[in-house]
Amino acid sequence: MLPASLDEAVEALAATPAAVPVAGATDLMEAVNAGRLRPAALIGLGRITELRGWRYEDGGTAVLGAGLTHARMDRPDFAALIPALADAARTAGPPQVRNVGTLGGNIATAAPAGDTLPVLAALEATATLARPGATREVPVSHLLTGLDPLRPGELLTWVRVPLLHAPQVFLKATGRSGPARATASVAVVLDPARRAVRCAVGAVAPVPLRPLEAETWVASCIDWDGSREIDPAATAAFGEYVAAACVPDSYAAEGPWEAVTEGPTAAAVRLRRTVSVLARRALGRALK
Amino acid sequence: MTTESLDSGPLDPAPPVSAEMRPCASYTLRVNGFERPVTDAWIGESLLYVLRERLGLAGAKDGCEQGECGACSVQVDGQLVAGCLVPAALAADSEINTVEGLSAGGAASDVQQALAESGAVQCGYCTPGMAMAVHDLLQRNHRPSEVEARQALCGNLCRCTGYRGVLAAVQTVAESRAAEAEQAEESTAPAEEGAAERPAAAPVVTEQSAADVPLAGELPVYADSDAWVEHVPQPPAAGPPPAGHQGHQDHQSHQGHQDHQGHQDHQSHQSHQGQPQHQGQPGQPGAGPSGEHLGGPYGDGAGPSGGPTAAGTGTGMGMAYGGHEQGGQPGAPYDTGVYDTAVLPPVPSFPTQQGPAGQQNGQGYYQQPGYPEGAYAGPPAHGTPAHGTYLPGAPGYQEAPYEGMPYQVPGQQNGQQHGQQGVPYPGPAYRSGEYDTTDFEHAPYDGPVYESTPAHGTAFDGTGYDGTPAQGTPYIPTPPHGVPTDGAPAGVPYGADPAHGIVPQPSGTSIPEDRHA
Repeated sequence: MLPASLDEAVEALAATPAAVPVAGATDLMEAVNAGRLRPAALIGLGRITELRGWRYEDGGTAVLGAGLTHARMDRPDFAALIPALADAARTAGPPQVRNVGTLGGNIATAAPAGDTLPVLAALEATATLARPGATREVPVSHLLTGLDPLRPGELLTWVRVPLLHAPQVFLKATGRSGPARATASVAVVLDPARRAVRCAVGAVAPVPLRPLEAETWVASCIDWDGSREIDPAATAAFGEYVAAACVPDSYAAEGPWEAVTEGPTAAAVRLRRTVSVLARRALGRALK
Repeated sequence: MTTESLDSGPLDPAPPVSAEMRPCASYTLRVNGFERPVTDAWIGESLLYVLRERLGLAGAKDGCEQGECGACSVQVDGQLVAGCLVPAALAADSEINTVEGLSAGGAASDVQQALAESGAVQCGYCTPGMAMAVHDLLQRNHRPSEVEARQALCGNLCRCTGYRGVLAAVQTVAESRAAEAEQAEESTAPAEEGAAERPAAAPVVTEQSAADVPLAGELPVYADSDAWVEHVPQPPAAGPPPAGHQGHQDHQSHQGHQDHQGHQDHQSHQSHQGQPQHQGQPGQPGAGPSGEHLGGPYGDGAGPSGGPTAAGTGTGMGMAYGGHEQGGQPGAPYDTGVYDTAVLPPVPSFPTQQGPAGQQNGQGYYQQPGYPEGAYAGPPAHGTPAHGTYLPGAPGYQEAPYEGMPYQVPGQQNGQQHGQQGVPYPGPAYRSGEYDTTDFEHAPYDGPVYESTPAHGTAFDGTGYDGTPAQGTPYIPTPPHGVPTDGAPAGVPYGADPAHGIVPQPSGTSIPEDRHA
């Protein structure tokens, strides 16, 4: 069914909680085609035009519709608002996928390699979940980690993102030169008002990771009042710090023996290097 | 095809399940401007599956079912999407355009023509998707740069020919369309009759040159091919790329070019009628709409696998069912997969303005007055059917590979290589004086050098995916909107930086990659 308004969709979902709300269907249909998913019913969200745009709130927050497509987020007007999200959307896949894949779908699928997820985690975005007659706000990171998961019958409608008016960088390492799933991705966001650096690493774990200690440490190294410069060595150290915090020694270990006897696995070493380079470059670009 | 047989399709490997496990829906899809009802389809069926298996529009190909390959690209509400990732039930009352709709008149669109002539086709499996991607790109961006073209095509994988030919086709079509628009602007004479004077009025410089393609001033790789025509001052309208110029060149005033540009059409004539040089003669057996327009699933309308013939690209698909529905028998030949032409009413008349290629084609081909209805009764006496054209009633037709498919060298445009793509055809062998299959097969391939794939690390130069080496070295998207990249600080030149294998050094020390942090 194709509800035309948000209220209709919420009602429909409440009526049939087993139904799968579908926006872009790029992840859903992949699972369906592979036989991993057999939806009982589909509720198409593509007709809900209000969810396909965004609005501003309180001067400092953008409320993004869950139906905002990656192709839309890639456009310059959006990139001026939230550059890291635009970068993530641009690299999220081929045009065929970005034209339909949505922000809300990226959150709801919560794929480890979801490109917008580290950005949302770094931005500390909150999601609005709607059910008939009520809504609730949940931080996206809580949603992703399962701390406060989506309940049956709830529909992800809006994503609140603070407008920081500061450089944001999203970098992504892939296995090939074309659009591909990230092997690691890093989002670095500066918050000059709070004098904070926020960083999230995606695709190395089932959920985006926040190296909180590295963030606070590197924020103390930045001259916030001046030209926001940082010693290149501190940038490199930040990269190492982030990588060590996000990639455990036992990453991709074949078994427990490998983790205890061998130190970091080869995969961990390699991934740490990738993450450290990504984080260092991201911070370098953000502070440029 | 019954629902039961569909149920055992690849989407549903499980044994029969109860009805509530298989929720079905009936809906109507608007495909290429025609309403196509779909009844009792499982809601999990992808648009690709419904188009191919239920509606008989086999142009979009099923490559990966994951949205990775782009072979299933179609347009939904004007946006390019992967057909395999769209639930068909949710695409109801959307406007769906498939590759069959690119060439609704039966002739290849300029995009398809350019793809065929640029040598962008080898096995052709990716080409319907490529055609849609190029079409979509050129709808949005009339003069795409090479980088933009690469970005637009980054979701279409080709493992045969590489992408050079496709990129050349993009430029070809863009330039021919630009020239066309310019001509339309310049020709103040509004009447179409003034077309004969038009080419003379517009010797606009539309030639390709190295400056058009951002390749750092050097000629692109395909520059030595025939798709690349450096402009030599010529009498007007001896236009540069052969593909797109068919639209605005007037064939009557340029008979000299007729053979060159219209060879595709000649070819399809010949191959269908077995009688070369039969233009404009009415009532040719085999030229009737029934024979031509049952392109069937093999005429995927993509030019490519449909072979380079203009008329043989299966583009008749769209028209065929269109005419059919007008005839009040919706979808009959398609939902069964049985291409029974006997019930096909003749497609009444083809529009004369089919777009660029259609004009050219229209001369002697589609506007032949008075096809005898059902005059086409089986294979023609001579001639191989154009590739991608299913001859109805040909008993031995089977899904054979296109073996012996001659590589279409764009330069050899004597109009004889097209179409004979090894379609199993029970009729007598094609016997045209100029074309000899065996000779051609053993002829040395002297075509253009197409670089097979974008070289690793060099493919997406500047597209934002700049060349990630395979070692997992981070990929740095260059933000196109003015965000400056952080270059090497303090004037330190970029040093040789081993891509991998360096043991990270303790923080605080200077490590090589600090230089471009």
